[in-house]
Amino acid sequence: MRTDPPTTPIRQSRPFGGTGAFLWTEVLVQAHESLAMATSMVTQTVLLVFVYILNPGLIGVALIGAVLFSAFTLGQRVLNEAAYIRIDHKANDLYLAGPMTPEGYFLGMAGGILIVYLAPIALLGALAVLVAHLSLTTSLALLGLAGLVWLFAASIGYIFSTFFRDNRAIWAYASLFFNVFGVLPPVFYPLGFFPAALRPVALLMPPSAAAALLQSRIGETTLSTGQTELALFGLIAETALVFLFAIYWARRTVRGP
Amino acid sequence: MSVEPLWSENLRKTYAVKGMPPVEALAGVSMNVHPGERVALLGRNGAGKTTFLRIASTLLRPTSGQIRVFGHDVSEHPERARPYIAVVPQEGKPFFHLPPREMIYTYLRARGLSRETSQSRTEEAIERMGLAEFADRLCITLSGGQRQRTMVATVIATQAPLLFLDEPTIGMDPFARREVWASLRDLTAKGSTILLTTHYLDEAEALSHRLYIVERGQVIVSGTSDDLKRSVGGTLKVSLPQGASEVESFRSFGEVVADGESLTIIVHPERLGELMELAVRRRLTATVGPVTLEEAFLRVVGRKIDED
Repeated sequence: MRTDPPTTPIRQSRPFGGTGAFLWTEVLVQAHESLAMATSMVTQTVLLVFVYILNPGLIGVALIGAVLFSAFTLGQRVLNEAAYIRIDHKANDLYLAGPMTPEGYFLGMAGGILIVYLAPIALLGALAVLVAHLSLTTSLALLGLAGLVWLFAASIGYIFSTFFRDNRAIWAYASLFFNVFGVLPPVFYPLGFFPAALRPVALLMPPSAAAALLQSRIGETTLSTGQTELALFGLIAETALVFLFAIYWARRTVRGP
Repeated sequence: MSVEPLWSENLRKTYAVKGMPPVEALAGVSMNVHPGERVALLGRNGAGKTTFLRIASTLLRPTSGQIRVFGHDVSEHPERARPYIAVVPQEGKPFFHLPPREMIYTYLRARGLSRETSQSRTEEAIERMGLAEFADRLCITLSGGQRQRTMVATVIATQAPLLFLDEPTIGMDPFARREVWASLRDLTAKGSTILLTTHYLDEAEALSHRLYIVERGQVIVSGTSDDLKRSVGGTLKVSLPQGASEVESFRSFGEVVADGESLTIIVHPERLGELMELAVRRRLTATVGPVTLEEAFLRVVGRKIDED
């Protein structure tokens, strides 16, 4: 038995330490699920077909909505993955009882999932640019707004994942949340089709707020200055708040109560 | 301030259960693990072993008491303790869609080790733990024992100063278990310290310098396995297959247990000759063997259950 302390130099973790490495781990893990990558586009494709049949003139709006919906539903994948790793594999203990930071674990997971599912989303984005004749600035706005929607959804997904103790419960609730908030509000169709009284609510929900802003840019929806500000600043504020809370929550929930 | 790898004083943990009285999982555990030691934490299911390990490894908040890892207060500053530790969680599994080689390598990278170090330690762990044959197969295709070896290899490869292993060899075959034991001995020889739980008492005996037995959240015995054996009244066990009828004649030698026609006596080595003479005089066949840790454990914990 040794009696002298270990000589391995110990460095304290930096904030967000381990993000890149865990992102790469998650890319490797997710990349083995090629079928999941294909099926991730099923809902969007079905809705696009419906829109094309019912009103081909709205296909541009629907394609923009499909990009935003795809970014939004990545939150469900974060939820599923985080809960599965924790409940079924208990591998979160392996990673979190060590120098890797909890926020690195959350962001690495979310980023890894984003990278793997980026190709089909990029394809939808390219179609949206071509079909809806998006200008460079509108295309960049689509990119930025989809990024905000992804960050919001990934943060919500990670936070929600910590409340489940059983994977069966996740099957019931996770798809409900992401489909209801991603499909029912005006994401795939113009804001003008939504009941007027409920439009402020739609402008406060990240996927439909982003959709309304883009619909406004391509002339499919008319937003007042107040509505534009509500949608834009609401989306930014909600995303920032939920993301910061997710960071706090990731740190807080490393340890059981 | 203590700079022991692990030090705890009067550590308590009470779980609140909805609609039920609170459950006291730890009722004042004090423990000290020295540098380079391998210490086993033994106890029945639900005795509090995993709760202690989870608190020590920063994954659970204690209700009260103190606990430090290399001098860092685990309750107040878990983030300062984490760089020193690595954990094999109870029932933990590797990522099913990674092969062992990628699992180990990416885990080391996530802990902040360089590419070169991660690469060399990954290959070393694969070699050491006998994973080479299936190191590039997805973990989902591996047996339960092979997955567990992957988990242990992943953690051993960290060479962290303090390792917590919760039932590390569960589901492994005897050969794999011995490979793990050898790896853990190597690791402590290099300066790491290990606290493990196990239900395999041969493992605890073969591997640990010291052990703690926990029952109902309290340490009831601590010391070496020989200390534990001595605490039950001797280190030798004499079995008399036809001796039950002579139980009173042998009672003065130590603890006696009659089971059907047979009699078992726990005896100190210095009284063995006297006991054997008596057995010969009574024309009884006798078998002598060492008291196993399992027998000592059963007696110590059984005594505590009877007292409670």
